[in-house]
Amino acid sequence: MTESSRNASQGQGQRSGAEVPREPSAPSPPLSDVELRADVEDEQVRSAQRGDALALSALIDRLAPFVGRICGPIALEHGEDATQEALIAVLRDLPALREPRALFGWARRIAAREAVRHARAARRERPPRGPLPELPAPGDPALVRDVRRVLEALSPEQRAILLLRDLEGLSEQEAAAQLEVEHGTVKSRLSRARSAFKRRWAS
Amino acid sequence: MSATVSWPSVELDPVLRLRALAAAMPWVSLEECVIEAPFGRVWSYIEDMERGVPQFEGNVRRIEILSRDGEWLALRSFAPGGFAMTLDAVLRPGWCVMRGAFGEIGMAAAPVGPAATRFAHFEGSRRLGRLARPLFRRFVQRDLARLAALATSDRKGTSPS
Repeated sequence: MTESSRNASQGQGQRSGAEVPREPSAPSPPLSDVELRADVEDEQVRSAQRGDALALSALIDRLAPFVGRICGPIALEHGEDATQEALIAVLRDLPALREPRALFGWARRIAAREAVRHARAARRERPPRGPLPELPAPGDPALVRDVRRVLEALSPEQRAILLLRDLEGLSEQEAAAQLEVEHGTVKSRLSRARSAFKRRWAS
Repeated sequence: MSATVSWPSVELDPVLRLRALAAAMPWVSLEECVIEAPFGRVWSYIEDMERGVPQFEGNVRRIEILSRDGEWLALRSFAPGGFAMTLDAVLRPGWCVMRGAFGEIGMAAAPVGPAATRFAHFEGSRRLGRLARPLFRRFVQRDLARLAALATSDRKGTSPS
């Protein structure tokens, strides 16, 4: 096995096969984005590009939660389908990636587009809900649940730009490149998304 | 707003991850089934690799674990005709991927409620390429049928663990 794929997975505190619990486990505890991107060495990516099953397995351990964090807020109830299809697209097209260090940016772009595509399709089938009911006060345990309800009131494109700018920390230019839209479109879309989010959140 | 807000996220179960892995290896054949047995019972046949896998994997007569380092294993597999192959593997609950010089094997499982398990399995050989997929499809289908029969008819003492 390649040392890089081995090291990447060992760093996640997996249990040995002799001590396994009786439920399936993903790498735990949840890793931050920085941790997810750390330890993914160029050689591991290149081994995965050559079809090395163990290198691909280790790469999936890092990419699946990363892609899930992009697709979840954009595609909402279709997040699982979007995440899986985005992950498949990333891995299937992996041999075409020229620069291993660009892996996560490339995966983010694919995930965001896939999530928007799923959310648009869902929106065509089921029009967005009307104005949100009363939201709980800050500190209310229902807040986490209601983030989802606030996001549901936004368009898929607004959710995508909010995620890329405010959660992923991309610049407007970078977000525009990821979504393949003009810079001006990102500015106006972001402004409307932030206003809508704040208005609904604070109402 | 992101500092105080918990955004929705998605965690794919091992079966969904194995589908993605198989998509990156177009020479493997992937099959899935739902086995009417709890996850723990089904996975015990993979977890206890030396005793469990030869019971359902038709191309394996015996397995020897050569070394174990956390979830990483080196093992030697003996086919019914005597052919031996060394494999590297990663094994943890619900996820097993093996890679040898002549083939790749993947298995994943996820509970479907308390009494059923979705199981996915692929086999293939990068060396033989896509042309061998129909052959591996038959192997995988046979293995899944055997595992399902074992796990659903599991009497006390027959499960490997």
